[in-house]
Amino acid sequence: MVPVAVTVTDGVAPSTVVPALERAGMAVDRVLDALGVVTGTAPEGAIATLCDLPGVSHVERQRQVGLPGV
Amino acid sequence: MSEPTDTTTGRYLVLLQDGSAAASARELSNVAGIRTASTLEGATAESLGTVDGVIYANVGVAVVNAQPDQVNALATAAEAPGPIALVEPERVVQALTAPAQEAVEAAVDESVFTWGLQAVGANISTATGKGIRVAVLDTGFTVNHPDFAGRTVLTQSFITGETVDDAHGHGTHCIGSATGPRKPASGGPGYGVAYEADIYAGKVLSNAGFGSDGGILAGIDWALTNGCAVISMSLGSAVRPGTPHSQIYETVGQRALSKGTLIVAAAGNESRRPDKIAPVGHPANCPSILAVGAIDDQRAVAFFSCGTVDTVGQVDVVAPGVNVYSSWNGKTGDSLHKRIQGTSMATPHVAGVAALLAQQYNARGWELWARLMQSARRLGLPATDAGAGLVQAP
Repeated sequence: MVPVAVTVTDGVAPSTVVPALERAGMAVDRVLDALGVVTGTAPEGAIATLCDLPGVSHVERQRQVGLPGV
Repeated sequence: MSEPTDTTTGRYLVLLQDGSAAASARELSNVAGIRTASTLEGATAESLGTVDGVIYANVGVAVVNAQPDQVNALATAAEAPGPIALVEPERVVQALTAPAQEAVEAAVDESVFTWGLQAVGANISTATGKGIRVAVLDTGFTVNHPDFAGRTVLTQSFITGETVDDAHGHGTHCIGSATGPRKPASGGPGYGVAYEADIYAGKVLSNAGFGSDGGILAGIDWALTNGCAVISMSLGSAVRPGTPHSQIYETVGQRALSKGTLIVAAAGNESRRPDKIAPVGHPANCPSILAVGAIDDQRAVAFFSCGTVDTVGQVDVVAPGVNVYSSWNGKTGDSLHKRIQGTSMATPHVAGVAALLAQQYNARGWELWARLMQSARRLGLPATDAGAGLVQAP
């Protein structure tokens, strides 16, 4: 499982896409209503499937982020 | 192990792809013959004396001693699918937090206000940020800092197992520059731009300074839900030239702007001018997130400030980011304040100025973006380094 972030299409409530994401193998962590984003983890092989779901705009693997070093 | 330099320790950081420390340990051993111990098994930094590497399971990072051929093997593995995602030299510790700064007296008189407040004209503005909500997503906040007594402060931690309390210091410093006082209760010069703004302190980076996209996106969502006009993010990750920006963050930046929230982010500190100009990092390289570079008190670009390298991923504005005095997480005396540098410090200056503009013109979203760009002072620096220039208070 890899951490992923999913944006839903403009105008789509993210919670309505969650069941399909879960059926495709994603374990949903957070549903961010204001942003239209769902985060969680998914099997690496399922990412392409997630991308093709109705209501899904983009899927990306989450990055590690930190303080900018100097 | 490689030779240490001024900025690196000679060790390497290996970013691990998923949460399985055991699989990562096997991969490090198979690929490069590196023997590791995990923090889940009680390993600490001191364990590097007895093994080749320590896996920090909670952040998914291994710190390893590696010979050049082992580094090459790791880099090759990072290009392929598998537990190893990225390899980079470990930076010296003080660089990650607060780079040591020579005790130079600022060329500007800072007896009343920091040079940063003066450079952006905050000290001569009638705007205060009153009624404007400013979110700072960082390592948290020192909620009982005496300089913030009586202020409206809302907090939320998005780091599992850690309260919002800022054991790092970086978040408290950034909140100070954006929203701190003009007459600090604990003495010294005024250092906060929007000194009457409401403070929303979201902890999206751990006390060790690490976070992930998931926590940051949750923090942005929290700020939007709370009607923050500005989100300040002094965080990021370095990217190689030519790396496409995140579609997710770009969409998020656009949606935030359409809902009246401007996201401001640090351009990054990976340049080593004049020899090397590094590209704006993630997520500041998204076109709809305002990217902030750093200048010093002589209006010169800071040596570390990232620049515009690719077609997309530009520096939009600059602000004070060298020798910046602000609040710190100590409990007494000298440790209540600190001078540090970075585009991390420039970013909250821009967030503060944005809050003043939001109050003055009732501007939000794209209009606020336009006001910042319109009023920025042109500096005679390359637009690729400074964008529209030095932000100015109304």
